[in-house]
Amino acid sequence: MISQEFDYAAPDTVQAALELLAEPGARPLAGGMSLIPLMKLRLTAPEKLVDLRRIPSLRSIRREGAFLHIGAMVTHYELESAPLIRQECPLLAASAAAIGDVQIRNSGTIGGSVAHADPAADYPAGLLALEARVHLTGPTGEREMAFEEFVLDPFTTAIEPGELVTAVLVPVEDPGTGVYYQKHPQPASGFPMVGVAARIRRQNGHISFARLGVTGLSGKGYRAREVEARLIGKAGAEAEVKDAAAATADGVEASSDIHASAAYRSHLACVAAARSILRSLSAAN
Amino acid sequence: MSTVTTETPTYVGKRIKRKEDPRMITGTATYLDDIKLPNMHFAAIVRSQYAAARIDRIDTSAALALPGVVAVFTGADLEGVGNVPCGVSLPGLRIPPHPILAQGRTYFVGHPVAVVVANDPYLARDGAELVEVEYTPQPGVSDPEKALEPGAPAVHPEWPDNVAFVHKQENGDVDAAFAGAEVIVKQRMLQPRVVANPMEARGAIGDYKSAEGTLTLHSSTQIPHLLRSIAAAVLGVPEHKMRVIAPEVGGGFGCKADVYAEELLVCFLSRKLARPVKWVEGRREHFQATSQGRGHVDYYELAAKRDGTILGIKLKIIQDIGSHQQLLTPLIPTLSVLMLPGLYRCKTFRAEVVGAFTNCFPTDAYRGAGRPEATYGIERIVDCLAVELGIDAAEIRLKNFIEPQEFPFSTGTGLIYDSGSYAATLGIALETVGYAALREEQRAARAAGRLMGIGIATYGEICAFGPSPYTPAGGWESATVRIEPSGQVTVHTGISPHGQGEETTFAQIAADELGVSMDDVVIVHGDTAIVQYGIGTFGSRGTAVGGTAMFLAIEELKKKILKYGAMLLETEEVEFSAGRVVCNKTGASVTVAQIAAASYRALKLPPGTEPGLVATSFWEPTNFTFPFGAHIVVTDVDPDTGEVKITRYVAVDDCGKIINPLIVAGQIHGGVAQGIGQALYEQMSYDENGQILSGEFTDYAMPKAANIPFIESLHTETPSPVNPLGVKGVGEAGAIGAPPAIVNSVVDALSHLGIRHLDMPLTPEKVWTAIQGARA
Amino acid sequence: MKINGSHTLQGSPETIYASLMDPAVLAQCLPGCQELAAAGDGIYNMKMKVAIASISGDFTGKVAMENLVPPASYRLRVEGAGRIGFVKGQGEISLSAVDADFTLVGYEGEVHTGGTIAAVGQRLVDTTARMMIRRFFEKLDSVMRAKPGLP
Repeated sequence: MISQEFDYAAPDTVQAALELLAEPGARPLAGGMSLIPLMKLRLTAPEKLVDLRRIPSLRSIRREGAFLHIGAMVTHYELESAPLIRQECPLLAASAAAIGDVQIRNSGTIGGSVAHADPAADYPAGLLALEARVHLTGPTGEREMAFEEFVLDPFTTAIEPGELVTAVLVPVEDPGTGVYYQKHPQPASGFPMVGVAARIRRQNGHISFARLGVTGLSGKGYRAREVEARLIGKAGAEAEVKDAAAATADGVEASSDIHASAAYRSHLACVAAARSILRSLSAAN
Repeated sequence: MSTVTTETPTYVGKRIKRKEDPRMITGTATYLDDIKLPNMHFAAIVRSQYAAARIDRIDTSAALALPGVVAVFTGADLEGVGNVPCGVSLPGLRIPPHPILAQGRTYFVGHPVAVVVANDPYLARDGAELVEVEYTPQPGVSDPEKALEPGAPAVHPEWPDNVAFVHKQENGDVDAAFAGAEVIVKQRMLQPRVVANPMEARGAIGDYKSAEGTLTLHSSTQIPHLLRSIAAAVLGVPEHKMRVIAPEVGGGFGCKADVYAEELLVCFLSRKLARPVKWVEGRREHFQATSQGRGHVDYYELAAKRDGTILGIKLKIIQDIGSHQQLLTPLIPTLSVLMLPGLYRCKTFRAEVVGAFTNCFPTDAYRGAGRPEATYGIERIVDCLAVELGIDAAEIRLKNFIEPQEFPFSTGTGLIYDSGSYAATLGIALETVGYAALREEQRAARAAGRLMGIGIATYGEICAFGPSPYTPAGGWESATVRIEPSGQVTVHTGISPHGQGEETTFAQIAADELGVSMDDVVIVHGDTAIVQYGIGTFGSRGTAVGGTAMFLAIEELKKKILKYGAMLLETEEVEFSAGRVVCNKTGASVTVAQIAAASYRALKLPPGTEPGLVATSFWEPTNFTFPFGAHIVVTDVDPDTGEVKITRYVAVDDCGKIINPLIVAGQIHGGVAQGIGQALYEQMSYDENGQILSGEFTDYAMPKAANIPFIESLHTETPSPVNPLGVKGVGEAGAIGAPPAIVNSVVDALSHLGIRHLDMPLTPEKVWTAIQGARA
Repeated sequence: MKINGSHTLQGSPETIYASLMDPAVLAQCLPGCQELAAAGDGIYNMKMKVAIASISGDFTGKVAMENLVPPASYRLRVEGAGRIGFVKGQGEISLSAVDADFTLVGYEGEVHTGGTIAAVGQRLVDTTARMMIRRFFEKLDSVMRAKPGLP
């Protein structure tokens, strides 16, 4: 299919991008892996695309104290392969590596994915488990908020008109934390039917810290706090973990489509949670 | 006395890289969309977003007002222009009129309602968006079984029972066989629609030149000559003034062995607008308006003795026809009936095919065209019998196989299988996979709670279409072999390869036969103005039928070459050997090149011989050929998620003589990949009214590289006696063997839980739900 | 696609029922509704502009209220068609008092989609439909709370 005609600009600073985006009908273009297909299907028709790919300040990865500051335009491939990420935030690297295929990962960006807020994206599971933060820049200045509060609904975030996601912040992982992203892909699109990311720490043979993020199950990703609570203090035997994980889908309105019913998806979430936790445990000290 | 001997082949049988590939992988091949003609305009089609609907109003004014748009046409403008044809005749076949653009009513989502022509493809698409159509949706039906129920919405008001045709065939005393049976197994099986999805979708350019009254149709087609004859007839263009050119075609798999509304439409547009008009299919359009494969609801019954001997087979096929009959639509399920007994000697059967109209685009040929469906059915029901009787799956097959001494074997369905060694081929598969050890492993796995399955599928198939009385448009094939004055060789073949590699394999054969280098042979195909009339490429016939025509033309040339050789060497004691005519007494020789030069220069001619070295052969095959094979698949089923993993895939295929093992391997890999797609991933989904639910790759699951296991591919070579090359054909084999082997494997993994059958595609949820149900 | 669910709203069944029948209220609450014009017999012609993520489309269609049994139940039919596809939904709406101040509004019905959004968006139809229904009720709740004179 062919998109409608559009104008195109490629600024080299965030400030210039914000000015261009203030015009009506202007939309930001990150990796284009979600936007361009929608344009080709004529489900959307921006009048002007403001290409963010030439803004160097959005492409950096750096350590800032206890956090890693990741520019919005860092690609999934860069996150899966950068030594700094693989060492200091292996869960983020694993999440990035699970996205789509090589071509998508070479183009798609973490900022674009976060701003798009697809309920079946891969990142939310890991970003929730990491208690990540989102950095926004707009005409009125800079602000930051928890990723968990940033995503409101399918494709709906707390972004204000004219704002851009400019960075994602994730914590430098404590050594000894075991992490894993367990994904069950939908065989056509490759999106997770369900994806669960876990971060587990042990002390004296018992689970002392657990964070579990779930994506794909419903309209937005969520922290499985009940499961986390059940894990604390446990030794982590398979039966205990499965028992804790049985609460993964509780109280969540699961989606249904031609690939998976709500009931199967909920079941799959519990299975994915158990596997994610067990694999994290075997990686934890 | 001259004798003919041929040297030991130097190319045939060798793994040789394809001549086609360099141009394809360097982007220099010319596909349909690469073609640019002077003043070429572009067509964008307005398609219905409803399946069954009445068209109340079409407003083209906004589209016409868009700068760049030169014309907009609707059904009313094409009244009187011919219909999209069906080439099949069956008793009682109902062929609904199939106008090129919808007339007053639509029948399927994507039905062309209007067409916008502009000087730029982008403006054409913009223009199409501006055409306003008002519809009144009608109730529709997408399930073929539901369509046949009383009270279902009538797809065509004149046929409220939605029956497109009924085809019956039987042999032997079926009722006695079933009455005397010691065991009867029954199973309903679904073979859902699948979408062909060649990498290159369809496309066509119509180029009418009014001053000459000639029409050239460029089309991504598998059947250029047949398309020419049919389109000329439909459009009222004299056949000799019509030319069809198949450019590089990026895959067809049967969906391009057809005649489509869009191909006829671009011809109409070009004639009307006096300029070339191009239409290129978008992927979404491919899901809407290109023929699809399979679409069966099968009811099988098998009667047998306790020792596993099959006594009789009953089969009812409900075939999802779609809304109209495309070129071969109703023929496909009748081919399933022909292959109903598979490799087994049972000749007693009763089959009934009921074609059902639905509000979806028609089904037609798709890799295997009716034979994968038959193989799936018989292999599944034989496995059901094996489980019922507690007999091993391999043993029950060996018990019922036709044996080597029984060939040629007349089946109860009217076919004569040419040659086969079914037990030997299955034996190789069993040994390669380590069958006995696997069954041991399975016992241990079950005890440990693991779900491991071993699935066998043995298949036979009808290939090398075929003797003309049994084909809708003739089944012979043609070749003209031309030795140029330089001694180099040009072959014009009537087949139309689109990925099969005959530019390479034919060059191998011709080079060996004439004793020249492969680099000195070029194979030309696809242009009806250049190549003599041919039938085309489908039904695994390219090398078996087309290659044979070429071989026979070369035989004719060799006779002439010998005459010239005898003249030049001034002796009758000559033979043909390795590209030379040699005197057996003196060893003196002349090359084919020298003979070619002499024959065209014609200073002196042998008695009764014309100048030149050109020969044409039209070869009518005496029979189909019958490749066969055995596939064994080992699977692991995750009991918690239902996910299926193929842990081993062994394929032993017998395609007769192998010309190029590299190309044969490619065909097996590709066919198996499509079979894996059908078994585990692919299903075209519609809602009950005919709304498309899986209209893009986001929801239609194509198998990807990561989904394909390592394929252990072996071969036996049982030459076919039908053609001098001994070739049976291999294009469809993988797609035939894979689905039953995989489904048999997964059902085997779950059989100890009491599960007897699961329908394709074996999605994780379907498998998991069956496991839960069995454990309840 | 079958959908069902419920929302608790502030107000009595009578006031909420009346609001649900009020085209001015409906026009505020139906997500993206730009125009709702009475055509008689409980039928309203509608223009909507739907914007979810980047997907945006104009829809025209109608809303119909049938089988009215105030203040307990009615059937709601919504149809909208546009360039990107069409939606047809129908549901049985039921109202019952939870206590003096709150009403439970339940819905049970079916949604059919067609055209492009159905063909390429199957994985999102369910989540999107639920989201739009939820937004409808959230908006209705805030409209109800803003009404003067509510208990």
